[in-house]
Amino acid sequence: MLAYLLLLVPMPPLGGFLLLALDPYRLDRRAVQAAALAAGCAPLLIVAPLAIANLSGAWGDQVAPIFTLGVGNFEVALAMGIDAMSAVAALTVAFVSACVMIYALDYMSYAGTPDLRRFFALMNLFVAGMLAMVLAADSITFFLGWELMGLCSFFLISYNMTSPRAFAAGQKAFLITRIADAALLAGLLLLFLEAGSVRLAELIPAGAVAEPVRGSIIAALLLIGALGKSAQVPFHTWLPTAMAGPTPVSALLHSATMVAAGAVLLARFAPVIEAHPVVAGATALAGVTTALFGAACAVAQTDVKRLLAYSSISQIGYMVAAVGVGAPAVAMAHFVVHAAFKSLLFMAAGVMSHAGGGSTAIDSLRGAARATPIAFLCYAAGAASLAGLPFVTAGWWSKEAILASALAAGPLGVAIWAAALAAAVLTGIYAFRPVLVAAATPAQPRRRCREHPLAIAPLVVLAFLSLAGGVAVAPMTELMGGHPPHPAHWVEIVGAAAALGGLAGSVAVVFTPALAARVRRARKLRAGLQFDARYYALLVRPYRRLVRHLSGREGAWVDRLGRPPDGATADPVGQATVALGLWLRRVVLTPFTPDRIDIAWMRSAAGIGRVAERGRHLQTGRVRDYALALAVGLAALLILGWGMTWR
Amino acid sequence: MTGLNALLALSGGLFVTGLFGVLARRTIVLQLVSLEIMLAGPALAFVAAGAHHGSVEGTAMFLLVLALAAAEVAVGLAIYLHLRRHAGGGDADAATRLRR
Repeated sequence: MLAYLLLLVPMPPLGGFLLLALDPYRLDRRAVQAAALAAGCAPLLIVAPLAIANLSGAWGDQVAPIFTLGVGNFEVALAMGIDAMSAVAALTVAFVSACVMIYALDYMSYAGTPDLRRFFALMNLFVAGMLAMVLAADSITFFLGWELMGLCSFFLISYNMTSPRAFAAGQKAFLITRIADAALLAGLLLLFLEAGSVRLAELIPAGAVAEPVRGSIIAALLLIGALGKSAQVPFHTWLPTAMAGPTPVSALLHSATMVAAGAVLLARFAPVIEAHPVVAGATALAGVTTALFGAACAVAQTDVKRLLAYSSISQIGYMVAAVGVGAPAVAMAHFVVHAAFKSLLFMAAGVMSHAGGGSTAIDSLRGAARATPIAFLCYAAGAASLAGLPFVTAGWWSKEAILASALAAGPLGVAIWAAALAAAVLTGIYAFRPVLVAAATPAQPRRRCREHPLAIAPLVVLAFLSLAGGVAVAPMTELMGGHPPHPAHWVEIVGAAAALGGLAGSVAVVFTPALAARVRRARKLRAGLQFDARYYALLVRPYRRLVRHLSGREGAWVDRLGRPPDGATADPVGQATVALGLWLRRVVLTPFTPDRIDIAWMRSAAGIGRVAERGRHLQTGRVRDYALALAVGLAALLILGWGMTWR
Repeated sequence: MTGLNALLALSGGLFVTGLFGVLARRTIVLQLVSLEIMLAGPALAFVAAGAHHGSVEGTAMFLLVLALAAAEVAVGLAIYLHLRRHAGGGDADAATRLRR
């Protein structure tokens, strides 16, 4: 019975969304903020006792069925459930989203938008989607939460509706994740056919024991879905542009929700991936490639939000690689640590850039250590955790666990370990760059800005967790059924050296003018190796050409329907349908315009009218004429009767 | 030619004579007279056939025809009086308003 409390977890944000979106009471600003805060923090209060009860072993794995429908051999059973992995994930999501919501109360009050209802309504829906996803015990609820997040991320990234850039960024995020979601949906449906049930508890083992070819296809489809949502190569291009959204959105999107959802998906379906070695290898390679690529691009960034975006890409790459080398529990541990420090970094960067006049360029952070010392220290703690400074940060423990798991995974694992180590060095370099710049003395002295306690409190809590959370990494991994690796000493020393080397590199890049200029010149790397431009040339431009072609000749047909001629933004799919309909009209209907059958029919009707008109003259009204007609008729009948009896 | 056949021919002649009168005359009174002659034809045929077969039914039918003729004359004279009063004449061809 207690399991039904799980259904309550996503309810407060959902209720908050409904309240703020419909707003029947015309709430004032304070009430909106209070509702958002209550809805954002309530899931933590509900899920914390449940998760702790589950993790402490007092309360085993639970499933709360919502709705069950059996059709033949198939069973559709909506349910929410909790096990160690979803308990950890839900706790993280609820905690981080509560922190972000508290922070957003203060942050958004500067945003200059008079109406905060839309923002907080969407944030709440976003959180509800992620909570529903991590606590789902069936693929339908899982997919529902997954898609809900995709939708909300679109709305939130393009929150600033007056900016075409923000709108384009939201559209890009939505479209790219949609491609991957189609693959995920296909994978889940195939898995359903394999298992005959939508319950994850039956789906995942069924996927693991599936016949190799089919199983590999399913695993690959799931992998594509995760790569798209997590902004991994080659789907990563949407994330850096998604920075157009407000900072709290980025903090939520990058840490515990949306982007991390792909890692959660892979960790959940890890048995399916692991059962098919080819896909597992591809997963590990995709992850580590992304980790290296993201770190390299992050080094060349000049905007702190873009830097953090590439760092998210890179860090999620570590998680994906960890699933690929068969350590999903380690990946989840890194997910937790990453959620803490990444949300911290975004929020601290938001405070610092607000104090510096709103620009998010790294150079404009100069002197932020003086202006906003607490935010700066929190940022430094987060950066240390991101870089994985040995022993004192949580990031070191979780990253080290991933590196050691990779090294223990055979010959491919060694290559992955080496690449991940290189990425770790780069991580150190980019993580400390904003810190060092912010610590540097500014050209003109800046005075101290007031830091609002609502914005600072979550930062301090998260900073503490990103430093001290390291002690929880190993127990957490064990609880989720993984084995925390115990690598040889030289491995740990190399890992520590990588992080410290990164720190040294960062100092060199910031304080050596030649290197700094070199980084500034790395335009190609800054633009993410021009993936965007290539996708544009390869996909967008041909598509646009198709649109223009369709809007040319066939578009004229469409215009005749009364639609305004708008060739550039016409939609080829819809237009093709309309063009087909118009073609059918031309071929099938036009020969009958005016309708020949109709004409013939009307002509016969008119003919009857004319006959009646003539026949009317027979009606004279004179009695004698009628009498004559009667007599003639009678005579005719008599003649007929006579003729019939003729022998 | 037997007696019956002669009588049937006579009744047919009466009928045709009456019909000619109805068609040729325009005065309502004379049309009514012609109608009576028309009725007399079949009545004669009934009586002749009854006498020929030794049956009383022919005579009974003659009585019915007489009743029919009386009713017809009553209705016809009423129409005639009405027309005289309103249309001012006994011309049957002038009374064509039922056409519309």
